[in-house]
Amino acid sequence: MKNFKVLLLMRSLVRRYCMTSSVIAACPQSFLKKNSRQAGMTENVSLLIAIVLFAVLLPLIFAGAAPAELTINANHDYITIDFFYHGRAVGVRGISEPGTDIVIKITSPEGHQALNKKGKAAGFLWMNMGTLKFEHAPNLYFIHSTKKPDEILSAEEMNKYVIGYPSMNKHIEITPVSNDEERTKWFNEFIRYKEASKLYAASSGRIKITNESGRQKYYIQTDWPYQAPPGEYLVTVYAVKDKKVIEKAETKVTVEQAGIVKALSGMAKSNGALYGIISIVAALGAGFGVGMIFGKGGGTH
Amino acid sequence: MYLYLPVALTSINILIPVGLGLVVGLLSGLFGVGGGFLMTPLLIMFGIPSTVAAATDSTQIVAASTSGTYAHWKVGNVDFKMGFHLLIGGFVGGLLGVQGIKILKVMGNADFVIKMTYVLMLGIVGTYMFIESIQSMRNKKVEESKPEKKSGFSRFLKSLPFQTHYEKSGVTHSALVPIIFGGFVGVLAAVMGVGGGFLMVPVMAYILKMPMHVIVGTSLFQILFNCIEVTFLQAYTNHNVDFILAVLLLLGSTVGAQVGAVFGRKLKGEQLKVILAVIVLVVTVKIIFELTLTPSLFLSQAGGH
Repeated sequence: MKNFKVLLLMRSLVRRYCMTSSVIAACPQSFLKKNSRQAGMTENVSLLIAIVLFAVLLPLIFAGAAPAELTINANHDYITIDFFYHGRAVGVRGISEPGTDIVIKITSPEGHQALNKKGKAAGFLWMNMGTLKFEHAPNLYFIHSTKKPDEILSAEEMNKYVIGYPSMNKHIEITPVSNDEERTKWFNEFIRYKEASKLYAASSGRIKITNESGRQKYYIQTDWPYQAPPGEYLVTVYAVKDKKVIEKAETKVTVEQAGIVKALSGMAKSNGALYGIISIVAALGAGFGVGMIFGKGGGTH
Repeated sequence: MYLYLPVALTSINILIPVGLGLVVGLLSGLFGVGGGFLMTPLLIMFGIPSTVAAATDSTQIVAASTSGTYAHWKVGNVDFKMGFHLLIGGFVGGLLGVQGIKILKVMGNADFVIKMTYVLMLGIVGTYMFIESIQSMRNKKVEESKPEKKSGFSRFLKSLPFQTHYEKSGVTHSALVPIIFGGFVGVLAAVMGVGGGFLMVPVMAYILKMPMHVIVGTSLFQILFNCIEVTFLQAYTNHNVDFILAVLLLLGSTVGAQVGAVFGRKLKGEQLKVILAVIVLVVTVKIIFELTLTPSLFLSQAGGH
């Protein structure tokens, strides 16, 4: 498509050049004739010249667009949750400018999360002591980088792109907390809770970088956790140089339920009454069924 | 082998719920308890969200108690009349208990009251059952003098109106007695978010003076109806019942309940009470540890107790 546009552009340039230029040699003789038939021929010839020029200049055009484009590709961009789903291994790969560091961020959309906080009641009994609200917090957040983010990025850049837990700390709003110390404590607990649920992860040095014929390739294999609920997840790669993000590219991973899982989950939400009745009937049926089997099997006196 | 649970939104090794079902079903058939006080925390431990664990457990109990009631009914150990009277009380008590929780939540200390009620009730019931059954196992002669010892309370119960004979249990009580005590258990069960079998069994043993084998069958019968109601409400209003998890649990629990009922017939009433008392006390100690030891995580999913 891009190449076709270039071709059209060249054709119009050739035509304009022939119309205005006195360089007859470059233009066909027929140009000088004035009838309409000849004008149509001019059109064809200009197209022909454009094609020739295009073919000759093609390598030069691409050589001119030299800045290595950052690409990203996830091997599973559509994950279906079926009956036997137990998470997936997701590989993220792409090409980046040689010499750049790479940061890969996988997130779910930001949202609101409410969690029970444990505290000491009556001075010695651990129990739930109210709820904490976390605003602008994604349910899932994976951050992988070639080196530690604070070694390759300035604090401003990390905060701008929400790269790393410290920048996440500045990004999330936690209520109610009375001071910064309490806020930091609950943020750290939030990360521990999320990591225990396999929904947050951070690593550095796990991205593999290879250089092939002047191109830098990156690759990381991550375990997509079965705890991640259905939804759309954004995978972003940042190319980093001189403490700055110089380029970023994005792709999406969609997680969706399918088959029996989808049917049951949908029914539980949209038709609770029928779902409840079916559950009860199935439970009663199973209870009686097993009772009768055992009864016949001599389970009674 | 792993299966994905569509409502719990997690994946689980099928041996875990089937195994848990088998163990808890066994207790159900043996003692006439639903086993929610064991099953719900275990499911949470294996990564099931607390709200789904409680709701799905009630579905599983429907199956286990149907299987258990059927087994006990076949040998004539279900007192339907007593079961209905306890159910009436339990139903009214449950409604009152739910209102009670609302009031506690407004007052802001619901969790503390719920936990303390749970620990105290488990501790008191467990200790009392344990001591009483050990004593009566040691010297059976004491039983002769027992009716005179509690004659004050017994006379009060006898003076109540609507006296009726419960044939299967071989006792005569005012119909108000099971209704009121059923109601009392219903209030506590609703407050604690459990079925209340471990409270109902001692009420039947010590207040209604029913024989232990009839207690187990009758308790299962009334638990069955309670859990049908709870399953429906949980599915209808909270959408928290996981059908796949319930099926895996009931595969174990329906068989466990049958095995429990068979074993139960081989044990004496006092032996059953002692074992149940020990289980209740172990659970009490576990909860006390949970309350006093520093937790590994200070945040948990909102929505459960």
